[in-house]
Amino acid sequence: MLIETRQLAKEYRVGDHLVHALRGVSLGIQAGEFVTIVGPSGSGKSTFMHILGCLDRPTSGQYLMNGRDVSTLPVDELARVRNGMLGFVFQGFNLLARTSAVENVELPLLYTSTGVVEASERRRRALAALEAVGLTDRAEHHPNQLSGGQQQRVAIARALVTQPSVLLADEPTGNLDTATSHEVMQIFQQLRAERGLTIVVITHERDIAAYGSRTIDFRDGQVVSDVHHDQTLAAASPR
Amino acid sequence: MIRRWLRHPLVNLALKALVRNRLQTGLTLLGMTIGVATVLTMMAVGAGAQQSIEQQVRAAGLNQLTVRAGNWKPKADDSGEAVAHGDARETLTLPVPDLMPPVPDAAFDAMPADNPEGLSGSVRPSRFHPEDDPMEKHDHPLARQRLGDLEAGLGSAATLSFADAQAIAELPGVQYVAGGLHENARVYAGSKRWFTRMHGTDVGMPSIKRGWTISRGRFFTRREQDDAAQVIVIGQIVADKLFGEGQDAVGQTLTLWNQPFTIVGVMTSATWVVQPAPGDDQFDAVYMPFTTTHRLLNLSKLNDITITAESSGAVTELARAITTLLRQRHGIGDNQPDDFTVLTQATRALTTGGLPPSVARAVAGNVAELEKVTLEQLSITLERASRTMTWLLAAVAAVSLIVGGIGIMNITLLSVTERTREIGLRMAVGARPSDVMRQFLVEAVAISLAGGLAGIIVGIAAALIVSRTLQWATVIAPGSVLLAFGVAGAVGIFFGWYPARRAAQLDPIVALRRE
Ligand SMILES: Nc1ncnc2c1ncn2[C@@H]1O[C@H](COP(=O)(O)OP(=O)(O)OP(=O)(O)O)[C@@H](O)[C@H]1O
Ligand SMILES: [Mg+2]
Repeated sequence: MLIETRQLAKEYRVGDHLVHALRGVSLGIQAGEFVTIVGPSGSGKSTFMHILGCLDRPTSGQYLMNGRDVSTLPVDELARVRNGMLGFVFQGFNLLARTSAVENVELPLLYTSTGVVEASERRRRALAALEAVGLTDRAEHHPNQLSGGQQQRVAIARALVTQPSVLLADEPTGNLDTATSHEVMQIFQQLRAERGLTIVVITHERDIAAYGSRTIDFRDGQVVSDVHHDQTLAAASPR
Repeated sequence: MIRRWLRHPLVNLALKALVRNRLQTGLTLLGMTIGVATVLTMMAVGAGAQQSIEQQVRAAGLNQLTVRAGNWKPKADDSGEAVAHGDARETLTLPVPDLMPPVPDAAFDAMPADNPEGLSGSVRPSRFHPEDDPMEKHDHPLARQRLGDLEAGLGSAATLSFADAQAIAELPGVQYVAGGLHENARVYAGSKRWFTRMHGTDVGMPSIKRGWTISRGRFFTRREQDDAAQVIVIGQIVADKLFGEGQDAVGQTLTLWNQPFTIVGVMTSATWVVQPAPGDDQFDAVYMPFTTTHRLLNLSKLNDITITAESSGAVTELARAITTLLRQRHGIGDNQPDDFTVLTQATRALTTGGLPPSVARAVAGNVAELEKVTLEQLSITLERASRTMTWLLAAVAAVSLIVGGIGIMNITLLSVTERTREIGLRMAVGARPSDVMRQFLVEAVAISLAGGLAGIIVGIAAALIVSRTLQWATVIAPGSVLLAFGVAGAVGIFFGWYPARRAAQLDPIVALRRE
């Protein structure tokens, strides 16, 4: 089991109020799965993903990655895990302005466990990642010279550049039109097929969710349905 | 190497960040520049002052000798007390039958000061001696020194002549020679009068006295000296007292011994270390060619001869040579004492340095190589002065650096706030808190070093301007440039610390959500 959560709970205290964002989520995700998470707004999807992404810690419960409990690791260790194991794709792309696509992609290589990757090697790997998302010819473009879909592809390249095993995407298509959304999802599928990447995508749209090999439905901080559709990959893939 | 370093992602990032907020960066840089420039300029001025003191000490002191007419030596009898023969000078109360206005003592104050010439058109003897002047409020250090021609007794005879001075000038290793006569004098200009010191001196004296500068006009010329012209150079204090501060005295007439003198120059201190003060014998004084003094007072001898050696190391040797020369010239036999005294700066410092005369004489007579003692004494004084100055400069520098540092803190905080999302993203892709911290520290240090660099340039320029316009000596030591640069970097680290820590402690999720 690549990822396993046991009774994950997350509470936020807002004034006198205790907000239960997650109420005991126990899940296992195998390597190579393509999980889509759906659910109404405020159901705890993002909270769950932040814990998966080692950006946040659960209030209670355990989070095991390759059998190791990472929820109690010190901050620096968490940073290492994020850098080496995980790749993030955000709804708002989060590219650095006034910085070329290739330099944006190089960013995680400044923080690897072995330190700053040497400049020429950084460039080589960033270009390779850009090639994987089909943006080699836009390497020197700045974000404001790229379309939304292209920007998101740069963000995916950035998530790929450290060759992580898990790709986490919180509503990656939220800011994109339908056609572009499908392009992005196809890239995810392709990466999964070619590299065996484990992918977790949060989405509001059913047709986007259909790209997954498994769809988890969140409601009020709990998993209400968890559907594996083994053959959907081939079926959904328009390839 | 620098190119590689500049391409380091952290440095690169910092530079980019700085370029982004150009105006703010510029203003912060300005603050830092001013701070560092202040530090550097202050250090340059401080070092310059120190150097000029040292030069002055060297110029006016260590290579200087004075031959004074007369001599003292221990009494031959067994009273045990060291008494110089020349002591007769100190107790001499003989009236000086020369050039003072022929008025009774009591009448002096009643005298119409605005027209002293009216009292006497010519030089006439007087019962009056300037030392007994009731107007004398200040104590000239050399006030007891009488004109050689008038002195009585063995060893205080009028022994030095211009020919002696010329003979000394021929000795090897001699740089400058100037003969002099000294007397207290009452000077008048218009309705003002002042009791001061008169020096009949040589045209070469300004070369010997490095601490002098002619602030207005000029020193008298060789020609004026040869002609025994009635020209006079007045010290700053005299100029202030007679003509008022800031007034141009050059070209005015001054009356001395009932004789009109044309003022050709005003002389003041070349450094701020020595400030003209009433009674200081140098700047509260008037200077005329010694030939003029000779002519007017009908004298032919000199009180003293001032000599500078080409090298300060040769002073002791030169003193010996002068002694031999003068003994020979004066025809003094082997068993007879000198009729003159050769004083090095060291012995002078001792004899005029507030020590009881008998002690000073005992020391001067017995300590070999006295120059070294005095050098130490001088360096102690010097050190004390420069320590005070250092504290003052440090205070000024600290204030300007704190102001610069606050600017750096401000712009770094601005940068952190502005780039919160970026910080969140960096953390999401693996940056540790320490990486984030380093990034902002490098940014703060980059500004402070850039400011430091600019400050060094501005500081050097300012130091040059200061030495041009204010005539202050400034010295920019390579060490002080390095120090300024180092201090700039330290300021960056110190003031960048807090903003950088704030950035490092951000929660990545909160940071990522920040708009
Ligand atoms: N930092 C926080 N402080 C307080 N409450 C929070 C915080 N973060 C999330 N919550 C609450 O936790 C609950 C779950 O939020 P979460 O962002 O996980 O929902 P979501 O499923 O991602 O919703 P959406 O689809 O709108 O993104 C919400 O009720 C939210 O108000
Ligand atoms: Mg969400």
